[in-house]
Amino acid sequence: MARLALRRARAEARAAERVMGDVETLRSARRAYLLAAVLGAASLPMVLLYLLLVLSSFADTIVTGPDILEARYSLDNWLMFFRGEVAPAAGRLYTTADILATIANTAIVALGVTAVVVFTSVLAGYAFSRMRFRWRRGLMTFIILLHAFPGVALIIAVYAMYVWSSMPLARSEGAMVAYAFAFTVLARASLELPMSIWLMKGFFDRIPWEVEWSALIDGASRLRAWWQIVLPQVKPGIAALAIFAFLAGWEDLIYVHVFLYIGTAGKVKTLATLIEELTANIETSYLPVVAAAGTLYLLPTILFFVLTQKLLLEAYSGGLKA
Amino acid sequence: MVEVSLERVTKRFGRVVALDQVSLVFEDGKFTALLGPSGSGKTTLLYIIAGIYKPTSGRIYFGGEDVTDLPPNKRNVGLVFQNYALYPHMTVYDNIAFPLRLRKLPESKIDRKVREVAKMLRIEELLDRYPSQLSGGQQQRVALARALVKEPTVLLLDEPLSNLDALLRVSIRAELKRLQKDLGITTIYVTHDQAEALSMADTVVVIDRGRVQQVDTPQNIYNRPRNLFVATFIGSPPANVLYARLTEKNPSLACVEVNKARFCFEGERAARLSRLGGEEVVLAFRPERARLGTEPRSDMLSIPAEVYVVETLGRENVVTLVVGASMVKVVTPPSQVPRLGESYYVLVDPRDVMLFDPVTELNIDYIEA
Amino acid sequence: MRPRVNPALFFLLPALTLIAVFYVVPLALSIYIGFTPLRNWNIAGGYLSQVTLENYERLFHMVMYDPDIGKVVATTVVFTVVTLAVNVLGGLALALTMYLMDLSGRELSLGFRTLWMLPRMTPIAVYSLMWYYFFLPGEEGILNSIAMRLGLIDEPVNWGNDPDLLPYGAWAILVVVNGLVGVSFGMVVFYAALRSIPREQIVAARVDGASTLHLVLYILIPQLRWHITYVTVWQLLSLLTTYAHIFLLVEWGAVDEFWGSNWALYVFNKAFALGESDQGLAAAAATILVLIGAGLGVLALRLMGFGRMMAEPRGEV
Ligand SMILES: Nc1ncnc2c1ncn2[C@@H]1O[C@H](COP(=O)(O)OP(=O)(O)OP(=O)(O)O)[C@@H](O)[C@H]1O
Ligand SMILES: [Mg+2]
Repeated sequence: MARLALRRARAEARAAERVMGDVETLRSARRAYLLAAVLGAASLPMVLLYLLLVLSSFADTIVTGPDILEARYSLDNWLMFFRGEVAPAAGRLYTTADILATIANTAIVALGVTAVVVFTSVLAGYAFSRMRFRWRRGLMTFIILLHAFPGVALIIAVYAMYVWSSMPLARSEGAMVAYAFAFTVLARASLELPMSIWLMKGFFDRIPWEVEWSALIDGASRLRAWWQIVLPQVKPGIAALAIFAFLAGWEDLIYVHVFLYIGTAGKVKTLATLIEELTANIETSYLPVVAAAGTLYLLPTILFFVLTQKLLLEAYSGGLKA
Repeated sequence: MVEVSLERVTKRFGRVVALDQVSLVFEDGKFTALLGPSGSGKTTLLYIIAGIYKPTSGRIYFGGEDVTDLPPNKRNVGLVFQNYALYPHMTVYDNIAFPLRLRKLPESKIDRKVREVAKMLRIEELLDRYPSQLSGGQQQRVALARALVKEPTVLLLDEPLSNLDALLRVSIRAELKRLQKDLGITTIYVTHDQAEALSMADTVVVIDRGRVQQVDTPQNIYNRPRNLFVATFIGSPPANVLYARLTEKNPSLACVEVNKARFCFEGERAARLSRLGGEEVVLAFRPERARLGTEPRSDMLSIPAEVYVVETLGRENVVTLVVGASMVKVVTPPSQVPRLGESYYVLVDPRDVMLFDPVTELNIDYIEA
Repeated sequence: MRPRVNPALFFLLPALTLIAVFYVVPLALSIYIGFTPLRNWNIAGGYLSQVTLENYERLFHMVMYDPDIGKVVATTVVFTVVTLAVNVLGGLALALTMYLMDLSGRELSLGFRTLWMLPRMTPIAVYSLMWYYFFLPGEEGILNSIAMRLGLIDEPVNWGNDPDLLPYGAWAILVVVNGLVGVSFGMVVFYAALRSIPREQIVAARVDGASTLHLVLYILIPQLRWHITYVTVWQLLSLLTTYAHIFLLVEWGAVDEFWGSNWALYVFNKAFALGESDQGLAAAAATILVLIGAGLGVLALRLMGFGRMMAEPRGEV
């Protein structure tokens, strides 16, 4: 009985929606497709930009559009890239090991940023969502405000701190490099913190208090209730956060440029600084190979993108629910 | 298992006083219903017993032990929330097993207990499902199972049946009552459904605006409400209230007049009436305890009235009549269907007339001499 | 009861530590460095103990008399204002188009919305590389190649450096490159806001005979007023302080060094230049940005209705 009534109610709701659809939509579906076509045309240059980069990575020249069909395509650029022949005119500057190390460095930074951001924001987001402490509101306001502070102002002083604090390590190159990595990761992760904490707070806010109280009444300590009951329910949120943090660490240019590249006098490169360096030396670089490097660098971004588009848009607008 | 007592418990949320100097004893092994309108502080009281809220002042005792500062995980209470609050990421089995796992019981013992309680609540075949795959009634039973499996000393239920349809509610009500009797757990049951409270409870606590109005058996709550609030809150339709003039105030004979109808009380009632300060008294009676007659009767309060509305409900009729400037309702048998505009006498046996002091709103039967 | 540490501290400690080390201390330090003559990262050289107003005097002097700094200031103003307009109006146009598309009942816009998020998520080096190819001065530049094929120009143009085109060539490049990154913010915010408008309103307007244009002008946009203000303020803040997406274009020579630098990038390059670098001056210049940023940030928070989003915790366990 009840189920039947429910089904009927649902059918009615659907019918109502249909009727509304008939009245309010663009008068016809054709108009919607027309708009889509217009928007598609507007988006075309951007698509073209990405497409040309990817095509160039397989071509014997930088593909510029009109010559898409004239260029010859092969895997040569990619092979040259992985062999380290990225600047043929200057001779063989890199080895395969260098290239792999560069990729690994990029991944280390990205994963490091992910780990730090997830660890700290999940903890702090919970505290801001659920716990009582003095200055709670003020502290959250302050943290959000930090997001607005000019990055340049920070990085000058952070680098000064880096130079000063790494002085004792100057004699050991290994320690120096490790320190540079740690500094890059922590500094870059901190940049993501304000928005990440805010995002996580939003995810925790959505869990009913009663569920957490239930756990306490069942005999769990606050910590255990958090770990066993609350955390599993924000897994999707943590996943979103992790993806954002990874992309942030992966795409970064300024921090790896300052701390890893300048900080180690060019010894530790990531894909970003490698591309920077190669393009800066345009006289000796072979641009299609640089395009291959760029495409490789772009790959994880696109991948995450396709996999998580809905999540991405939601989380991105999740910061404000007016 | 244990007696729960509250000693002058006050709870404030900012400026809102949710509980005001509440002193109560919930007897060991008894089923107590907590009844009150929305916002009266029922949930707050429950949460204070569970330890989710800390009282602003006052103490709470389980047995002789002061638990006021004990966190919820040390109190061994079972609480079924209004919205069940099942763990959405755990199966029914894991939900029920959770409190036992926290106690580090061996898995075999946990398994036995979970199945036992599941069998008792007839949810055995649901154990592998997730909460989102259950109906409201099933979720309710899972929540109950989770509260019971840990053998709590106190069981707290916050309107657990409010989301169910009428049929299921009646059957689960009976189930719950039997279960409580079998296990003998001190149980506090919050509801704003008075039929539920009156039918299930050993004791009913009526609360309004954070204050306890009456603590009594269901019969007394219904028949001898302590004050006007309880009289008008309990019953469906609620008690009729009329203002009457005291025309005679002798300790042996006290007479009231309402809408030109005069009636005199004798004995104890008269003595109590005569002690009232003013010249007025509030008179109340239940619609189902009144009759409609064409003639006044000398042994009954007989108030002339005119039929205003008739609602035919099948099993009975509810007749609304105009008495002076007020309205009263009377329940009549199906055979008696008065017509609009007809004049009748509303007849009430003096034993069914409740009298209240208009100033304090207290039932005069409860006023100490 | 024994006094005990608030458990919130345990949850907050890691984040607060990072924030203290990488925001609070640097912010204070940066302001301090602005009052010292620190150069070439010579931290141990004793510069840090000399407090002086010299940097601010120099800065003032440069802004007044140094043509290169004049270029940077002009670029900052033009770049910020024009890109802001592009971001807000572009975001609005995108969101409205997508919303109207979706009114037909099909979720046509998801793909587009994702696509327009792409520039923001693309590694900055790759994004810069793509635009570098696009504006490359020689024939192999994409823009040159296409324009020549279409017969619009006879010779390849050096878009960002050609003295005849300066400063407009460089400015156009900056606006295009950053505009595309920033436009997605407005798009996402506006689209979400549009979706939350009750459908009945649109039905009612349609029944009253409103055309699509009327719908947009009199029903939709008025309800976005708050969001437009919010996006404008927040985006203004971002644009004032952004430099990462311009950094490589300047380094690679795709745009003129001064007509292509905004204030933030100028500060960065002053501090991290490979030869002579001047952190004192850079920090002083950065401090000015901090002051503007703090003001705009407070304004943005006000607009966000921040207070409403911080409900008090319930329960006292
Ligand atoms: N966390 C809180 N903060 C502020 N006021 C509160 C809070 N919890 C309850 N109150 C207030 O305390 C009073 C009692 O609330 P309570 O939830 O106990 O009512 P209730 O009797 O359970 O009502 P209902 O039948 O609607 O569930 C109400 O006025 C309510 O607004
Ligand atoms: Mg309640």
